[in-house]
Amino acid sequence: MLGHVAIRLLQALVVMLVMSMLVFVGVYAIGNPIDVLIGPDVSQELRLQTIARYGLDRPLWEQYFTFLGRVLHGDFGRSFVFGMPVMELILSRLPATLELTLAAVFGAALIGIPAGIYAGYRPDSVAAKLIMTVSILGFSVPTFWIGLVLIMAFAVELQWLPAGGRGETVSLFGVQWSFLTANGLSHLLLPALNLALFKLALMTRLARAGTRETMLTDTVKFARAAGLSEWTVLRRHVLRLIAIPLVTVFGLEFASTLAFAVVTETIFSWPGIGKLIIDSIQSLDRPVMVAYLMLVAFVFITINFLVDLAYVGLDPRLRKGGAR
Amino acid sequence: MSEAPLLQVSDLTTHFHTRAGVVKAVDGVSFALKRGEVMGLVGESGSGKSITGFSIIGLIDPPGRVESGSVQLEGRELVGLGPAELRKIRGKQISMVFQDPMMTLNPMLTIGAQIRLALEAHEKVSGSEARRRAVAALAQVRIPDAESKVDFYPHQFSGGMRQRVAIAIALLHRPKLIICDEPTTALDVSVQAEILAEMKELVAELGTALIWISHDLAVVAELADHVCVMRYGKIVETGRTLDVLTRPRHPYTQALLDALPSRAEPGTLLAGGAGAEVAPPPRAARKAEPAPGDAAHYVRIEHVAKRFAQTPGLLRKLGQRLGLAKAPAAVQAVDDVTLVLRRGEALGLVGESGSGKSTLGRVAAGIYAPDSGLVRIDDAPVMSAGREPHKITTRVQTIFQDPFASLNPRMTVGDSIAEGPLAHGLVGRAEAKDYVRQWLAAVGLDPAFASRYPHQFSGGQRQRVAIARALAMQPDVVVCDEPVASLDVSIQAQIINLLIRLRQELGLTLIFISHDLSVVRHLCDRVAIMYRGKIVESGPSAEIYERPQHDYTKRLLAAVPVLPVA
Repeated sequence: MLGHVAIRLLQALVVMLVMSMLVFVGVYAIGNPIDVLIGPDVSQELRLQTIARYGLDRPLWEQYFTFLGRVLHGDFGRSFVFGMPVMELILSRLPATLELTLAAVFGAALIGIPAGIYAGYRPDSVAAKLIMTVSILGFSVPTFWIGLVLIMAFAVELQWLPAGGRGETVSLFGVQWSFLTANGLSHLLLPALNLALFKLALMTRLARAGTRETMLTDTVKFARAAGLSEWTVLRRHVLRLIAIPLVTVFGLEFASTLAFAVVTETIFSWPGIGKLIIDSIQSLDRPVMVAYLMLVAFVFITINFLVDLAYVGLDPRLRKGGAR
Repeated sequence: MSEAPLLQVSDLTTHFHTRAGVVKAVDGVSFALKRGEVMGLVGESGSGKSITGFSIIGLIDPPGRVESGSVQLEGRELVGLGPAELRKIRGKQISMVFQDPMMTLNPMLTIGAQIRLALEAHEKVSGSEARRRAVAALAQVRIPDAESKVDFYPHQFSGGMRQRVAIAIALLHRPKLIICDEPTTALDVSVQAEILAEMKELVAELGTALIWISHDLAVVAELADHVCVMRYGKIVETGRTLDVLTRPRHPYTQALLDALPSRAEPGTLLAGGAGAEVAPPPRAARKAEPAPGDAAHYVRIEHVAKRFAQTPGLLRKLGQRLGLAKAPAAVQAVDDVTLVLRRGEALGLVGESGSGKSTLGRVAAGIYAPDSGLVRIDDAPVMSAGREPHKITTRVQTIFQDPFASLNPRMTVGDSIAEGPLAHGLVGRAEAKDYVRQWLAAVGLDPAFASRYPHQFSGGQRQRVAIARALAMQPDVVVCDEPVASLDVSIQAQIINLLIRLRQELGLTLIFISHDLSVVRHLCDRVAIMYRGKIVESGPSAEIYERPQHDYTKRLLAAVPVLPVA
């Protein structure tokens, strides 16, 4: 087991290294930040000075290794635009996105999985058909449009919930969170719902497909033949047997939402990381882009690793040394 | 009152309402079962024997429905009971064991947890009490070291042990009746023999009545007091087991018995397996017909070994070097096997699952490259030499167990049959259609079927297609890997007859892999018994079956259930 973890960590390291190269070269290719940083009317001398100051006159490989060396010391550079260390900047925005994502993904799982299991267990019932129709809507209607409709309905017409922003926040472990106050929660609700809809549909459909398949297996027949109640069959057998694809999708969705919640964050002016990256792309704020993309790679690797560990926890067949 | 039946099934009718129409799966079945009695329910696939079992226990899922009739357990009517009432009966008074122990136990839960769930279905038990009873239940079905086995997961058990666990769960509440649906079909003969013996003891010990559903008449003969033979949802014959099997009255029962290779003279055509006698198309002349070599050493399998190991990735290799990871376990599937076949000989390769017989067959057929050793036909190697050996001859072809898996579902069977011969120039594009039609006729199919797809055929027909496809390559040697293992006895008889006839007509040399000793005895001149990758004994069929020398062969032969003879 320990060897397995070590190998996975080695793999992660290799992926991170390759990712850093791709990101660096990719960002290098998309434009010259100097044009954005300083006005066109600045003297040629100052211009060259600025280029030299940021090391932009060096060859690409030299820039990359300088960057890599700094990263190893935890230094991702300073933002061209904000003038503060990139890590600090990203970390100040991360909690907002994190709590939004967690709310959306857990909400989707807690509602979607039971709904899907029900729809798979009673596929011919009216409720199941309703659930499946709604889930198609969740799939096919674009996020930004739903976001606008939610604001129109709940913020503008009914005036039940605020239209944007993060509301009151409370400091916990030195980080600002809004889910701990009633006002913050009310701000969180609409964007989280907006983000959750697609995932909700995905979880529902996955749980339904898994349940339908599992209900036909001999495991379920045998459990029924032993006199287990339907509730026990669903809770103890079916849920365990459909868990692996659900955990996979949960992990992937969690990672991708964390990285790309940008549309929802923009619509609800949620001061998260998605807005930061869009702003930095517009201003060609290279250090922020690079650091952000590295962070995204890191998040994906970490979550996939956790998902792998979850597999082992769920399925005893995957445990090393457990076989005969 | 003691003479009143435990179970009285009267005129039971179960229908499946499908889009294609109503399927009368069980069509007016009646029988009675006394306390502690064992009844065999015999039939081929689709006869309704399993559905009868599920109807009794109230587990018919839509679109199926018990339409009419009655099932009375100790005088209490079960048909029409609500789901909650039925649940109280299931597991407590009637329980069920299924065919594949691989599929019935939940792979994610420990055996102990699954036994506990079954206990809690009918009574309240504490954790320690549940564990104590789980251990006792496992010990009862002769699972050694039950105390620690309780915490095992299903995958840590062998197939036989898993089936014992399922039986332990079925016995948990001391039910009055257990319905066993082909419980030993997925197991090796030696394991089947053990389970049958234990089942006999348990039934006698506990006084449980048993309905034993099976396609295998010999297995039923070992166990059942009386037997019902089913066909098309109806019971065609019923009576004391010995009477039915030795003096069958219904022609269908007679036909079932006649189709068994164990009851026929080896090498003869089996009854009920008649087919159209159309000769296969003539062979294409070989470009360079090899000079007839040594006929006594026609196929030579020399010191063949094959090992399966996971190929580690780059990082894993590094990890292994650093001592972080262990090398993956390797399986020595075939371990230095040497076999020689005469020209035109049929060699049976017999062994239980995991013995390496299929791997050896695949090496012989040029599907797997051996790690060491050589396979030669008529002195020409089957595989090329070099770092990545590949098959270099069409002289050996393979027929697999599952034709549905081996035929491309998106190709018409005609295209499937023509593909190989076209690629190798055995037949021109213009004649291909005719060639395929001739082969279909030769295996007893309508030539017009060439334009159909595999899913439009029955299992037996698909196996005929697979045979036509292999033989259309005009091989000299054919490796048959369990070609009749998944077929009903009557279909099995037809395929065996087909193989006997085509082997004679084409002068084929046959390597016939099977776990079924009676089929091998019927078809093969010589038998090689395989155990853990090695040939433990080989010789002429009659000799091996009459006078086995090796212990393993003796055990294997003793484990085969035998039909009573009149």
